[in-house]
Amino acid sequence: MADQANFDRDAMEYAPQLFAAAMRMARNPADAEDLVQETLLKAYRAYASFEEGTNLKAWLYRILTNTYINKYRRDSRRPNETDLADVEDLYLYRRIGSEHSADASRSVEDLVLDGLVEADIKQAVESLPEAFRVPVLLADLEGFSYKEIASILDVPIGTVMSRLHRGRKALQKTLWEYARTRGLLSDEVTDVR
Amino acid sequence: MSDEHCDEALARLYPYLDGELDDAVVAERIRVHLVDCPPCGGAFSFEERLRVVVRSHLREDVPADVLDRLRGVIQRESLGS
Repeated sequence: MADQANFDRDAMEYAPQLFAAAMRMARNPADAEDLVQETLLKAYRAYASFEEGTNLKAWLYRILTNTYINKYRRDSRRPNETDLADVEDLYLYRRIGSEHSADASRSVEDLVLDGLVEADIKQAVESLPEAFRVPVLLADLEGFSYKEIASILDVPIGTVMSRLHRGRKALQKTLWEYARTRGLLSDEVTDVR
Repeated sequence: MSDEHCDEALARLYPYLDGELDDAVVAERIRVHLVDCPPCGGAFSFEERLRVVVRSHLREDVPADVLDRLRGVIQRESLGS
């Protein structure tokens, strides 16, 4: 059992990380702050039920995720299964390869990876359906294990793996579109840069 | 290089990169295959680099006033209880 008096010392250090995840969930700073505030208040009030020595970070993210889903969910929690069905594996890598010779591919890979800016990545993640966005954030931003994500989201590990897999592929599809739009793939634009 | 090994590697792309392969024998077989097979090696290395880019761009600096307000909320709550 955790002592509320230690909440400030132990839990508040996660506030910045919670805010980063909340920004990609709520999609704007004001809602993200509300979300983190509500999360911290709930966590503080329930802190006596937190078993000290267990995974505090995962416990906080579980509260954050549940709060987000309850507060902001507008569409159904179930992902639209048909939405992402057509995204192939290694989407971005193969798109680059299919449009460039083997020699050129390597340098285009660099152009794309170096050319994608913060706003591209953030926007692409925010465009993912919630059911895919949350596991991708938990894995790729926070580095949680599959087992931790399964426990945070209260779903089987197989579901975590499938949503992560499909969420990452969908992310690549969006990033490919951004890379094209921004001219990261053509030589003419390379010269300008 | 063999199709069989390429298929095995690709099917486990994310668990491999996430360090979540339970079977150490399979993980080692994939590791060796990635060295032997340039197409798979290139693909995995691209995916790995993309993850680093994604993670680094998702970081967020919390404005100091936001952090102050969040601390304040918990402090008020602790005084009130």
